[in-house]
Order: sequence, then structure tokens, then C-alpha cells
Amino acid sequence: MASLTLRNVRKRYEAAEVIHGVDLDIEDGEFVVFVGPSGCGKSTLLRMIAGLEEISDGSVSIGETEVNEVAASKRGVAMVFQTYALYPHMTVYKNMAFGLKQAKTPADEIDRRVRAAADILQITDYLDRSPRHLSGGQRQRVAIGRAIVRDPKVFLFDEPLSNLDAALRVQTRLEIARLHERLKTTMIYVTHDQVEAMTLADKIVVLRDGVIEQVGSPIALYEKPQNAFVAQFIGSPKMNFFAASDLSKKAAKVLKTDLTDDMQIGLRPEHMQVCKAADAVVTGTLELVENLGEVALVHLITDTGASFIAKTEKPPKEAKGEAISFTIAPELAHYFDKDSGQRLEG
Amino acid sequence: MNNRTIARLLQTPAVLLLLVWMLVPLGLTLYFSFLRYVLNSLRKPEWTVPQLSNWRGFGNYEYVLYKSKDFWFAIQNSLLIVGSILVITVVLGLAIAILVNRSFPGRGIVRVLLISPFFVMPAVNAVLWINMILDPVLGLNGLAIEGLNHLVAGLKDFPILGHFFALWPELEPISFRATQTSAYAVIMMVAWQWTPFAVLIFMTSLQSEDQQQKEAALLDGASAWAQFVYLTIPHLARPIAIVVMIQSIFHLSLYAEIEIVSRGNGNKNLPYLIGEFTSNNIGAASATGIFAVILANIVAIFLLRMVGKNLVD
Repeated sequence: MASLTLRNVRKRYEAAEVIHGVDLDIEDGEFVVFVGPSGCGKSTLLRMIAGLEEISDGSVSIGETEVNEVAASKRGVAMVFQTYALYPHMTVYKNMAFGLKQAKTPADEIDRRVRAAADILQITDYLDRSPRHLSGGQRQRVAIGRAIVRDPKVFLFDEPLSNLDAALRVQTRLEIARLHERLKTTMIYVTHDQVEAMTLADKIVVLRDGVIEQVGSPIALYEKPQNAFVAQFIGSPKMNFFAASDLSKKAAKVLKTDLTDDMQIGLRPEHMQVCKAADAVVTGTLELVENLGEVALVHLITDTGASFIAKTEKPPKEAKGEAISFTIAPELAHYFDKDSGQRLEG
Repeated sequence: MNNRTIARLLQTPAVLLLLVWMLVPLGLTLYFSFLRYVLNSLRKPEWTVPQLSNWRGFGNYEYVLYKSKDFWFAIQNSLLIVGSILVITVVLGLAIAILVNRSFPGRGIVRVLLISPFFVMPAVNAVLWINMILDPVLGLNGLAIEGLNHLVAGLKDFPILGHFFALWPELEPISFRATQTSAYAVIMMVAWQWTPFAVLIFMTSLQSEDQQQKEAALLDGASAWAQFVYLTIPHLARPIAIVVMIQSIFHLSLYAEIEIVSRGNGNKNLPYLIGEFTSNNIGAASATGIFAVILANIVAIFLLRMVGKNLVD
């Protein structure tokens, strides 16, 4: 178990810099999720921590030790890969024992640790099978088991669920959460899926183009996104953005704010409530309704051409082409600078 | 008529042609192997025509097995040549494939050069090797030995150490056309020609190796050697089996190299023996041919088991 410190970490491939100076503190036992769109550098950052990519600049420390020059196998980290990367010619048991064997661990110790890990993951029945004969979910467990056996200080997960089908993904997500509960080891988890990030993380790190956009607890990111990018990335469906001109004349009064033209107003679909036309913050023409049963996603467009989504409990009675008005509690509205995208407090 | 029947019907001409192609020669060989049949006989001119009245039963087989001195030698030699070539090409091919699998400047050219021996005709290959490389006087072999002898002669004049070198005998170049060495000459030249084939197959297979597995092994603390033994070799099991199988088929029927190196002097395999019999005794040649078919089948069964197991896995 160990904390992790990143200081001004950079990654360059020849001329191109892909990670532009990342500073991050991860506490002992924390579950940290790196999230961001593809190509944001989250996997590269993880691989730099693992020792699979060289660190061009800055320092990575695990515990008190700087590990920049430490070989991957000596860093005390274990990684679960997206493609599982199981050794195809070895049985499940041998897959899990391989690392310990390379470290010249005594055979009875290997056996004890492999069986303990298999027990935790409920794969004891498959120990003699080859990975080829396992389902995707079982392979994923073996990959996790291979990591557990090494008793690492830090677990690294590189999009571990993206090769699983939807139902299995939810189940495995729960299992990973339970595993963290049980082992209390520091875990770093990379994903592009904000739902995984929200449900698993103690702390989310949102990355874009090799820069950290915001670090915080899931709820902090949801309630107080530091900029428009984070605001849109966290939450599903995405937060709606409006210019002041898209809103109704009464909006400033309802929201109790002065609305200016260099401002973006962010309203989350789930916070919007249907109201009378007279009280409207924003009014839109109904375009499409996606009825999910428990809720309905209502797609609308304002007179000024801004499209937005509202999440309502029941599908609206209005027909396509008719207008619906929405209001929102003033404390649930977000304001961002139009040019920089930074949050405006007020 | 359902689709299956149509498919079968459409295949029929090709299958029939292949069957005729295979069965007619095999049948004739079998037939001749039971006859007294020679190309030229002044004493018994009736033997020069293949006819049932010349029936000899298993006489040709007995003759080949017990009376001709070269049969067992040819079988032994066939296996020696094929086995040696297989070991050399697989080991060397693996080493070279791994060496050129990393990126370095000029990799494309190096790869083309590596493959090029495979495009040399076997007979040309044999002529080049036996005359320009292995010849004890004019070839590299002779030149190298001569150079070494010169070097040692020069070192004899050295103070103190010179006494040590003075004890060295003068080296003699090996003549690869001799009875004892001609098989090794053939092994060398064919291995040189077929190593590129192994390199080619192994190289493509190495490129399909999963890099994440290697990274996982790296994190597991596996050394480069351990990665090679536990990941790369198992990954290459199938291509190795294929190289072994294809080469066995080709090298059991080597002929040109043996003919050019020593005209069978000290080095015969079954096809060469058949060739020698064919100069007059067709009956004995056919019987030897049947033995060759049996040998090839034994080898094929072993190979198919090996490869088949690999392909099923």
C-alpha cells in the first residue's frame, strides 16, 4: 500500500508533447479514476506510472521513492489490461503463478497465494483450464487475479471493462468496487466512461489533451464543474448550454443573476422542470421524445436555434412542434465564461 | 438438386483429374515393381517390354533390400540430410527472424536480401556453393585456409610466442566432394537456401505476437529470455510445425544438389538411388519408389500428428 505523487510529469514523442506537466497526489488506499475522451493521454499517464512508457520530464513517486528509473517489475505495481493479456499457452493457475515464479517465490507460497486470490475472485474451478476456454468475464477475473497475487502497492486498470458486454460490465464494476473495499489498496483506473468513473471513484481526474481539467470527488465534479468541458463530460445526458439570448426575458429574474452575453448558462437535463409559459427560463419546440420508461428524454429546440434535452418523469402531452416551457431552481444553474469556459462564481 | 450436390458436381472434374494424376503413376509403379523390366538386355530381350509374362513377384523388393548395397545407406542418408537441415534452418531462422524483427535503418533492404537465397534455383545454388565457396583450391574454403596458414606462418617469427605457433600443423582445406563429406556439403547449401523460408514464416508470425502480453510479462518481472521461452516459443509452435512439415516434404526428394556435389559418391538418398536404377533396371527402381512412398508416409503421419495437434489447439 502506498501513496502516489506526480510532479510536473511530461511525455514527449520526438517533437510532440502529449502530456503537458501533470501534478497529482493520490493518497494511500484511494480509488482514483482517470477519465477523458480518447486521445486525452489518460492511458499514457497510466503506462508511465506502470513503467511501460518512459517519463520524459518530471517525477513519479510511489510512497517516498521516486520510480522514474525503477524497472516496471520493481515498482510494486500490477496492471490489468484492456485485452486481458493473459498468457494463452498457460493454464489459469500458471498465468497467476507466472510473476511469482519469475520472482523465485517458493512453490508452497505460490500455491497459497494463487489459491487465495482464486478464492476471492471465485475462479477456483477454472484453475486448470486454459484462457481460451473461458468467457470474457472469466478472463477478466483471471487478469485481476494475476494482479492480486503479486500483492502490489498500486493496482492499475487500463479500461478493464470495455471488452465486456453491457450486463457483465455492470457486474464486474461492482466486483471491482467490492475488491477495493476488501483489499483497501491504492487503485488507479482508466476509463472513457463517465458512469464507471462516477460509480467507482473516490477521486476523479478529468483529462483533456494531456492536461488535468479538474480533480475531485464525483459529487464535487457533478455539482461544481470547474469549466464547461468537465460540466459536459460528467453527467448523462450532457449538460445543456445556452447563451443569454436563448433564454426567456424573465430568466434573469428567476435565476436571480445578471445574464450577460459573454456568459454560457449550463442547465442539467435532470434539473429542468416543466412550467407555465409565464414562468419560463427557457422555452423550446418539441422535436423528439425518447421514452425510457422510468424517465423520458425530451429533445427540444429554442426559437434562437439552440437544441437542448430535458429529462422528465413522464413523456410530455404536447405533440411534436408544440412549445414547452422549463424552469430550474436558481442554485442548480451553472455559469461559465463564453471564451475561456471557466466557471463563473456568482 | 440442392446446393451441396451442385458443389460436389462442380468439384468432380478437378478431383477426378487429381486422382488420375496420382493413381496412374502410382499404379504403374506398383505394376512395374513386380515385373522383370529393364531398358536394355542383349541376353533377355523379352525383359525390355513390360508384360505380365515377366512377372517376378517380390523379387525386385528382395533384390533392393538384400542384394543392392546402397538401399539402407540411402534411407539413413535421407533421414540424416532432412533432419540436419530441419534443425539448422529452424534454429537459424528463429534467430535471424528475431534479430530483424526490431526496427533499424535499412530494414527493408536487409529483409529483401535475407529472402533472396530462396529464389536461387537449386542446381545453381549447388554449383555456386561447390565451386565458389566449398572448393578446396579455388573456393572461399581454400582461400580462407590458405590465409590462416599464412597468418600462422607469420606468427612463427614472433619472439617466445613463435615457438607455440611453430607447433601448429599446417591446415588442410576439407574437400567437400569426398565420400565422407559430400553429405555435409549438401546439408550446408540446402540449409542456406531454406533458412530464408523459415525466416519469412517466423517473421510474419512474430509480428502478430500480442504486445500487451509482453508488457504484462514485463510487469511480472520476466526477463527477455523468459519472455522468449514462455511467450514467443509457444506462440511460434504452429509456424515451426509448418516449416518442419513443408521442408520435410521438399528435402526427402532432394536430387540436383546430390548430383552436382558428388554424383552420389558417398551421398545417396532414395530419389537418387531410384535415379541410378532407372538407368537400366526399371523394376528395381519401381520397387525402391514404393519404399520411398512408404517412408514418406511414415514421416507424413508423424508430421501430421505434430502439426494437427498444433492446429487443433
